[in-house]
Amino acid sequence: MDSKEISSKNKASFWSFKLSAHAMTLIPAAVGINYVAKAFAEGLKLPVWLGSLGTFLASMLAGPVAGAISGFINNVIYGLTLSPVSTVYALTSIGIGLAVAWLNQRGFFKRPVTVLPAAILIALVSALISTPLNVIFWSGQTGIAWGDALFASLVAKHVNIWIASFLDEFVLDLLDKTVVAYLAFLIYKQLPKRLVYFFKGTEE
Amino acid sequence: MRNNAEDLALPAWQAAIDPISKLLLILLFTLAAFTAGNLPSAIIVLAASFILALLTKNLHALWGMCAFSLFLILTMLLIQGLFWPGNHTAAFSVASLTFCQEGLDHAALLACRILTIIFSSSFFIQTTTISENARYLENSGLSYQQVYVLMSVCYILPQMQENLRKIQLAQKARGIAPAKSLLSRIKNLFPVLLPLIVKSFQQAMNRSIALQLRGYANPKRRAASLKQEYWKDKFCHRLLIANCLVLLGVKACLIIFN
Repeated sequence: MDSKEISSKNKASFWSFKLSAHAMTLIPAAVGINYVAKAFAEGLKLPVWLGSLGTFLASMLAGPVAGAISGFINNVIYGLTLSPVSTVYALTSIGIGLAVAWLNQRGFFKRPVTVLPAAILIALVSALISTPLNVIFWSGQTGIAWGDALFASLVAKHVNIWIASFLDEFVLDLLDKTVVAYLAFLIYKQLPKRLVYFFKGTEE
Repeated sequence: MRNNAEDLALPAWQAAIDPISKLLLILLFTLAAFTAGNLPSAIIVLAASFILALLTKNLHALWGMCAFSLFLILTMLLIQGLFWPGNHTAAFSVASLTFCQEGLDHAALLACRILTIIFSSSFFIQTTTISENARYLENSGLSYQQVYVLMSVCYILPQMQENLRKIQLAQKARGIAPAKSLLSRIKNLFPVLLPLIVKSFQQAMNRSIALQLRGYANPKRRAASLKQEYWKDKFCHRLLIANCLVLLGVKACLIIFN
């Protein structure tokens, strides 16, 4: 059996829930990329997390289920090794994985000009899922200094806590997801074709 | 979770608790912390979880996990103390800023919840190994594929961190100095991340081929046997789930009748 034969054996429908061997090995790699990219961004003191880069790539390569599982496992493993409170955002990561795959299927990651609206939509999905979690668990805060400064200034002006929390999360997500979306777009373009075909389960 | 069992010399009672019970214990403590509607009861739950965490005798790791959430707790005290909508009783003033008692109490309640999650999670993290978890989950009925996806991450991460270190050293040797401006730092991401990602995907492709050649999906595959006996594991699961359901019921009643 060569890699091409195995790849075509792995071909599954876009929304298939059955994990093929290529998705099974892609997911841990994607989680590892999330983890390392996040640590790398922290090391460089960047104002972004980059912790969803692997989820973006998994969704673009193997579809929504692989992307969503990558995101979910990433938060669970991060929670069980470094920061238990980040486990609650596993739901947000699932949303990001599904949104990226949906937008990728509609061609948003084919040209640089369409990556920006995709990033805005993904940031919106992320903020919409994270806001109730922020309000329920941390009274609306995110724990990121300049996002929380915006939250504090809005709450001080008697803006509704849900709106203040949403804006706090959205401004952080907008910058992060834009950088991650362009990084994922550039990396995807540079990936060897045999890797892309293998994980997509398509013929060359 | 620890990588190897060798560096994990646990007291007999800690080793006798199965991994799923430890996970359910995290859920139980978390639910208890969120059901506690006032500061005194939240402190009682926090104290119980702290005792559980202390039993692992690894204060260094415990402090490491707390430090991760310390900034969130500090900003909570600041923001809730100053701007919480329910604020009306002044507690103290710093310069022109007046902190209110209600906001500080609310922030302390939230901090108790965060610390309870951390302390109860640390018990699981410090007393469980990856291989023990994998064996137990497979023996509990989870498919080999699901267990593989969950557990292989823990083995791949150190490998990727080593790859990242090697790439960074190679880039330094080529004369790529750490940039000072933000834009240059973002630009420098690409030459490090691209080789790391390509290498990770190539290794994933090789693993996928190896898994298929070894017949990973064979329905006759036998789960690896458990290395140790657990104390009444099924009973513990039922007991903990029942307690979680009771706490959920109490929380629902509190929401409905308040």
